[in-house]
Amino acid sequence: MKKNIFILLVFSALIFSSCKKEFLDTYSTTAVAADDALSSTQNATAALNGMHRIMYTQYDAQGQSGEGACNLFRDYMGEDIVFPLANGSQGHLGWVQWQNHRNVNSGDMRFVYRFYYRLISNANVLINGIDAVPGAAASKNMIKGQALVYRAWAHFQLVQLWGERYRAGANNSQLGVPLLLTNTLEGQPRATVEAVYTQINKDLDQAIVLLAGYTRTGSAAKSNLDINVARGVKARVALVQENWDVAATNAAAARASFPLMTNADYVRGFNDISNAEWIWGSRQISDHNTFFFSYFAYISSNFNSTVIRTQPRAVNANLFNALPTTDIRRSVFDLTGAGTVIPPGGARVPFQNKKFLASSDALSIGDVPYMRSAEMLLIEAEARARQGQTLAAQTALFTLMRNRMPNYVQSTSTGQTLLNEIYFNRRAELWGEGHRFTDLKRLNLPMSRVGIANHVIALIQVQEIPAGDVRWQFLFPQDEMNQNKAMVQNPL
Amino acid sequence: MRKLVTVFLCVFFALCQLAAQNKTITGKVTDAEGKPVAGASVQVKGTKQGVSANDAGIFTISVPTTATTLSISGVGLVAQDVRIGTSTVLNVSMVSSDKNLDEVVVVAYGTAKKSTNTGSQGVVGAKDIAQRPISNVNQALEGAIPGVITGTANGQPGSGVSIRVRGFGSINASSDPLFVVDGVPYVGGTSNINPDDVESTTVLKDASATALYGSRAANGVIMITTKKGKKGRNNISMRMLQGQTSRGLEEYQRVDAFQYYPMMWEAYRNSLVYPTTGVGISLDSANRVASGLTTRTGIHGLLTYNPFNVPNNAIVGTNGRLNPNAQLIYGDDLDWTKELISTGNRQEYNINFSGGSDKSDYFLSLSHLDDKGYTLRSDLKRSTLRLNVNINPLSWVKTGLNVTGNFATSNQASDGGSTSFVNPFFFTRNMGPIYPVYAHNMTTGAYLLDATGNRFWDLGNMGAQGLGISNRPSGASSGRHALAETRLNNENYRRTVVSARNFVDITFLKDFKFTNNISVDYQTQYDASYQNTLVGDGAPAGRSSRDYSSNMGFITSQLLNYNKKLGDHRIDVLVGREAFNQYQEALGGFKQGQSLSGNTELGNFTTINSSTSSVDRYRIESYFSRANYDYKGKYFVSGSIRRDGNSRFAAESRWGTFWSVGGGWNIEKENFMKNVSFVNQLKLRSSYGVVGVADGIGLYAYQGLYGFANNANDPGIVQSQTAFLNKSLTWETNKQFDIGLDFALFKNRLTGSVEYYHRVSADLLFAVPQPLSSGALTVNQNTATMFNKGIELQLNGDVLKTKDFVWNMNLNLSTVVNQITKMPESVPDFVTGTKKYQVGVSIFDYWLRTYYGVDPTDGAPLFVAQSTAANASRRLITNKNGGLDTLTTDISNGKFEYQGSTIPDFYGSFTQSVTYKQFTLSALFMFQVGGLTYDQNYASLMAVGTSYGAAYHTDILNRWQKPGDITNVPRLDAGRSAQFNGASSRWLIDASYFNIRTVNLSYNLPKSLTNRMKVNNGQFFISIENALFSSKRIGLNNQQAFSGVTSNAYPPARVFTVGVSLNL
Repeated sequence: MKKNIFILLVFSALIFSSCKKEFLDTYSTTAVAADDALSSTQNATAALNGMHRIMYTQYDAQGQSGEGACNLFRDYMGEDIVFPLANGSQGHLGWVQWQNHRNVNSGDMRFVYRFYYRLISNANVLINGIDAVPGAAASKNMIKGQALVYRAWAHFQLVQLWGERYRAGANNSQLGVPLLLTNTLEGQPRATVEAVYTQINKDLDQAIVLLAGYTRTGSAAKSNLDINVARGVKARVALVQENWDVAATNAAAARASFPLMTNADYVRGFNDISNAEWIWGSRQISDHNTFFFSYFAYISSNFNSTVIRTQPRAVNANLFNALPTTDIRRSVFDLTGAGTVIPPGGARVPFQNKKFLASSDALSIGDVPYMRSAEMLLIEAEARARQGQTLAAQTALFTLMRNRMPNYVQSTSTGQTLLNEIYFNRRAELWGEGHRFTDLKRLNLPMSRVGIANHVIALIQVQEIPAGDVRWQFLFPQDEMNQNKAMVQNPL
Repeated sequence: MRKLVTVFLCVFFALCQLAAQNKTITGKVTDAEGKPVAGASVQVKGTKQGVSANDAGIFTISVPTTATTLSISGVGLVAQDVRIGTSTVLNVSMVSSDKNLDEVVVVAYGTAKKSTNTGSQGVVGAKDIAQRPISNVNQALEGAIPGVITGTANGQPGSGVSIRVRGFGSINASSDPLFVVDGVPYVGGTSNINPDDVESTTVLKDASATALYGSRAANGVIMITTKKGKKGRNNISMRMLQGQTSRGLEEYQRVDAFQYYPMMWEAYRNSLVYPTTGVGISLDSANRVASGLTTRTGIHGLLTYNPFNVPNNAIVGTNGRLNPNAQLIYGDDLDWTKELISTGNRQEYNINFSGGSDKSDYFLSLSHLDDKGYTLRSDLKRSTLRLNVNINPLSWVKTGLNVTGNFATSNQASDGGSTSFVNPFFFTRNMGPIYPVYAHNMTTGAYLLDATGNRFWDLGNMGAQGLGISNRPSGASSGRHALAETRLNNENYRRTVVSARNFVDITFLKDFKFTNNISVDYQTQYDASYQNTLVGDGAPAGRSSRDYSSNMGFITSQLLNYNKKLGDHRIDVLVGREAFNQYQEALGGFKQGQSLSGNTELGNFTTINSSTSSVDRYRIESYFSRANYDYKGKYFVSGSIRRDGNSRFAAESRWGTFWSVGGGWNIEKENFMKNVSFVNQLKLRSSYGVVGVADGIGLYAYQGLYGFANNANDPGIVQSQTAFLNKSLTWETNKQFDIGLDFALFKNRLTGSVEYYHRVSADLLFAVPQPLSSGALTVNQNTATMFNKGIELQLNGDVLKTKDFVWNMNLNLSTVVNQITKMPESVPDFVTGTKKYQVGVSIFDYWLRTYYGVDPTDGAPLFVAQSTAANASRRLITNKNGGLDTLTTDISNGKFEYQGSTIPDFYGSFTQSVTYKQFTLSALFMFQVGGLTYDQNYASLMAVGTSYGAAYHTDILNRWQKPGDITNVPRLDAGRSAQFNGASSRWLIDASYFNIRTVNLSYNLPKSLTNRMKVNNGQFFISIENALFSSKRIGLNNQQAFSGVTSNAYPPARVFTVGVSLNL
């Protein structure tokens, strides 16, 4: 009897001990469900902040650190960044050699493509979903406005690299890049360059309206895209499209509240977002350590990485030599390397770069500059000069140069001479900030390293690329070709 | 005391004798070899009356005059009934059950009689590992069971081998088998288990055997069963091993300093003669430049170190030969392995106490292992204890608790990244042979001394310190120093594991048994890592991380068994339910900026790099049933079914049904076999079933996720590029057919089995790549299909057997064929590393450019061209058939083709065991025939380019030197090294190998000695693990990875051990 009661007990316990239905529902604690991103404006703001973060996180491999890396890649393809040592580190060398963007299997090239579309995909979630999120209109405008600037800017970066150059006044029916306005896993075809620019302008114009009342706050304020950033991007786009007046007025508006930095600030390492003239940049704090992959792990003079120790970056000797000794910008390069802050055991080379400094030799973090007033002044000067408003151009250039070189006398040059002066100062001012490749491409100029003494020919292999060469177009990564049936490759 | 008890018993028995009409029978129980069987149980059949034989096998039993039969049984022996005749002396000779074909085998959720089991499985028993110094129990599976492929154990102490059962089941999910310890899926690694506690390791191979584990069993199940006490025999068993570990696999052969300088000179010289752009300089000029006789950089300027007593511009002459007067000035300091890689000690101590009575049994063990690897800072110390107690408090209740605790500490060599500088194997293998470990005066070669008079390391970046030392070039790992980093860094863990298994059996209504199981596996691990301030990844700030993790498995199951024998019919039914609940926690901190030297705790660092925490849960709920039926033990069938719900999948897709059917026929029991006396067993069996794979897929793989991504101090989240909502994501399914024949011939002297299997893996989980422009990288989908099939043969026989001499031989042979039969629609082919997946090939078929050879005119390498259009790199070469082959010297124009597979034609092992009197010599040989290895390590030793300073393989001496040279090694050319030596079929090599895995010589103490020592038995033994590696290239380990690509991993250890074991 005792036994039967016992058995009965066990069986009844068994029947009731069956698992609850929720037993099999488990959730990650290091991630949140995708739906939650749009459950409140607070969460949507977090999804926006995540986009600011992925501007400087690591992607597939060492040296792929968001927009900072893309900036470097574009400048390596020009003539002004020099890899000075034949037996030094070969990290990133494939860009200098014009190999990576023409190799469909290049991991670095794939990363560039992936990075911009990642931003677009994240932006689309917010652009297309924010209207239905409960919350204050001001917050929603801020979120949607920023997401639109991201989407426009990312498409702009893509079309400049993968599309043929924009020809102002012509029919730009050449193929650009896929326009992703809603998220889909279905492969999208390439839109024409014209269509891409039309959408970029549409997104920017809408963003400028939405961001009108928004003021950035917090320690990472300048990593947000406010109306000034939107205008700055608009100015860059207009410069490519040769809409000179739009370029000049937007550039002027974008920099209005960002006075040029002092000469003392100029030599502090280009790593501080609080610098007066920075309009847009990433803000990095120490627990976002970027180790050996970051922008500064490749372009600073002082971080203790194999790259910096054995292949410190140098400036084009000709560019350096052309800078007057009174120009503060000359002092961010070092003729002998003797006065450069280097990591332990690092090499010293002629024309060594010291423009960029990492937080320390042990910490590769630093705020990454994306847009500064100086660039806006140069856009204004170039646009006005191309418009024929010579005085306005000379004045804009003077505004910048008076700051950089106290004894600078306002230029009296005109026409191409004036433009050349502007272009020279663009190179001197924006070294390492990612403008050289796209400048050469939009201006339809050749890339030439001929006669630059400190380039190591055996290392760089490529000395000259004629204007209009097919190599000015990036190839689409093999992964995109494989998965996107609608995709057409650029001419090989 | 003992005497008192004896007297008491005698009186007791005497009194009993008076009470009944009894007679006394005495006798001796011996085994087949005539040795006494201590503790044999002697019972009057049909009663509970019985006695045990004493240590000499002698028993005395008083039996009623009505009794007719005695039942005699013993551990490891076949029970026997003996008729009681008129004699009062009854000597019994027992047959060992080692050859007993009706032994019991471990199966899913229980045990079964081997003779009527339909499943396919292989067993490794305790005696197979008793004399081997293995620190991880799964190493015992190497070569032991046909159909099981093992990788070699990494030499890191405690590391196990990776295991594949019957081919390669999965592409993106896991191909690992499920580990089940004492009947319950194990949460934790097998290195937690003391091998000496293990009674048997059983590999379940076919669906009939595994289907009861349902969704996790497709890649086979490995059942580890620990020891328990044996009834009627109290035992103390001790085992002690002392050994030495050393590198088991030789290093690749590399050129020395005298050969190296001229080779690098030539590579440099040729890069001047054949520049990549522009026009080269003349050979004569190039010779002068390379020797350093011009104003341009000479070879010394590129290698930066001159280890010889001749001037920097006179090391290599313009004829390319080393200066005949050159002598090394610091030749005693060029061996980077001297302090890093030497020998270690391995000590192991085990003691266990076991025994049992009618109502209970116990097993208690203690062990300590101290295994020092042969590299600096690589070791494992592990202490374990186990208590396994089973009791029978009531006739219908049986319960037991098997609990084990384990504490381990380990320093880990940094071999994680194959090409990371801190990896001592990568670093020492590729260091050019002219660079010293310590700083030297570069003129005299004398050691430089620091302020305290000690030598100091040459870190390779001391050029600016005014010591007259140059920086090493980048090929020689400038600014890095594996010895210094290994000494100064710290990588260790402490792990504590507690594991318990409880069961309660209740038998009722005669034929029913209900079992409730509760089990807990709980493991915590504390990892500490520190990188120093002097050199390496942590320099100059120093950095430290601490990670704490726990992993708990809580598993309950309820089983109901019905077992009935009706005449010739036997039915056995099981129904059950199981809930698997795994819970993992992790907490970690990582800081840099060391304040005070010596202390590596986080408080002593200034900057937080990261601080993380997470909790993960994995749950499975299961219901299952199995039914076995046999008729006269002659015909038998079984079927099983299991329904699993798995938290890795969406509610819509998480339930799946898995099942199997099997049948068998013991042919030897048929009447027509009666006259075939040499056949002792002939069993035909076959099964078919469907099982699943869920492991290896992310825990939340079906969910759409946003990951955390704070922007400075603002909270942020970002879309995952691989986790998109896919509610239809579900199990991979494996459909396996199996047919096998087991046989025993010539009085069981020759036993074996031959089997064929065909296993189709469908709905393979594939991380299907998406257009990058969609913002996604991959989405998990169930799309691909492949099959594995093969034949397995096992033979075991006593080749010779006399009273004193036994020669036993065991042979395993297996084949496996793997082929993809379906790919995702959007991804008809997929290139990953050196392989390309597509329909019709295996997952291990190489997809590489085809290397053709070397053009004798200029030493350029030739690849079969993909584009045969005329261009500068095109070459036309007349082939053997008189036709023209279109080739290219530009590797990027090389044609990709399938080049054969990693998978061998067949593989196997054989064991030889020779026993002569007290001595036994045995050895396990493993081999593989066919298959290809892609020797990445060799490739990098053959490709030293513009990053001067890396080591060369001696095969470089066969390079092309002048027009007309016929060779397979292209011209040395620093400027073109990457292009000349890129990935191609050139780096494939026949993967056939022959290894002597273990050799063992043991000596059994003779009875005369054990009696004097008052022990039951004792053994001395000597053993060598990894005695020999023999492959097509010295240094090559073909078993390193299933993918066939070599890496700079920790080479396996050779362990030389002497041991003793005693049973009291």
